[in-house]
Amino acid sequence: MSDAEFLPEESGNKIAKLPLAASLVALAGLCDAIYLTIHHYTGEKVPCSVTGGCEAVLTSAYAEIGGIPLAAFGAAAYFVAFSLAILAAFGNRLTWKLFGIQTALMAAFSLWLIYLQAFVILEYCQFCLLSAATSITLFLIALFSRFWRS
Amino acid sequence: MSNGKKNNNNSNSSLPLIIIGLVLITALAGAWWLFNRNTNPNKTSTNTNSAASMTANRTPNSVSNPMGAQPPNLLGSPNASVTVEEFADFQCGACAAVHPRVKELTSLYGSRIKFIFRNYPLAIAAHDKAYNAAVAAEAAGMQGSNKFWEMQNLLFTNQQVWTANPDYRRIWEGYAAQIGLDVERFKNDMAGLSAKSRVDADMQRGRSLNLSSTPTIFVNGQSIPFEQMSVETMRQIIDAELLKAPATQQTPAASGGASNTAPAQSGNTSSANTQKK
Repeated sequence: MSDAEFLPEESGNKIAKLPLAASLVALAGLCDAIYLTIHHYTGEKVPCSVTGGCEAVLTSAYAEIGGIPLAAFGAAAYFVAFSLAILAAFGNRLTWKLFGIQTALMAAFSLWLIYLQAFVILEYCQFCLLSAATSITLFLIALFSRFWRS
Repeated sequence: MSNGKKNNNNSNSSLPLIIIGLVLITALAGAWWLFNRNTNPNKTSTNTNSAASMTANRTPNSVSNPMGAQPPNLLGSPNASVTVEEFADFQCGACAAVHPRVKELTSLYGSRIKFIFRNYPLAIAAHDKAYNAAVAAEAAGMQGSNKFWEMQNLLFTNQQVWTANPDYRRIWEGYAAQIGLDVERFKNDMAGLSAKSRVDADMQRGRSLNLSSTPTIFVNGQSIPFEQMSVETMRQIIDAELLKAPATQQTPAASGGASNTAPAQSGNTSSANTQKK
């Protein structure tokens, strides 16, 4: 077998640990993104005790794409990542490859969003930072699994 | 692959799909619950803060709608019979265009009206600095009764200068110095929560009124369409409201009725009667 050792071979009974961990991290990201999406639509103030810049970030020019909140795209992306990871956890190698590609894109996008907060908006939003942390973690898990097998 | 393995895989293949389905249902249910929990009964579910067209006949009701920042940014007399309430965004071109007209009205009517300025930065792509600009005006207001209006005036009149400049915060600090603020304190107040919470309170009031565009001006609760925001038309509306008011509520200056007889005043800032602490 040329594929990763973390994936169960032959038997479908074993659940791979790394994809399972990734699916849990993706779930956390999904919750965060849903929370931000709903807050966007209800217009409620986001409690922002740690960083204090949530309103500035979440109402900035970068909070929407075509009238759709960025958080909604995030929620969709986390759901897809979760699904791919769960399928991989049950032995689907193709979805784990797709997961790697998707999380690489998500992590790159998150880095850009962190850059925007740090240098353009000049405010941080803890929920956005949490989302960035989860997507980067997902990518790191995917990356780790590549090196792990070799 | 043997038949036995195939069967084994098939029996297991539905489990991840079930999990995915369950997560999807839970996520949607959670979103629905959050949405209902956060939605104020006064708001419509489609309130997305987008800069859509104006909705007509919105009437602010001080009982059912949030009060906005307290005390409000107020010019004129708090006891005047006519209340003019403006919701504006510092990055909105129409607001900057209307600003000199509103300024003219406030100096023209002086204490015969109660003019309230509310921050309503729109969450749209072109207005990425609008929220912070509102915070800057509020932070300026924390250093003296007239400083809010001086900063508000500078932000509107120089809108084109700072709005396109990535170093806009430095420009605002320049304005702060120009109007005699303690710049360090201004920077601290901008970063602090007090100024932001005032802006948020105003925004909450605006949202509860379903505002979707700026500027929105209410005269005694009646929304004035943008086409009618000329000095002449607004004067007619205010004059009509002044005449409606019982004589006892009017200030001596208003007893003449028409605004033509109003004593000229030197400007917003000098005639300001702000209630800010």
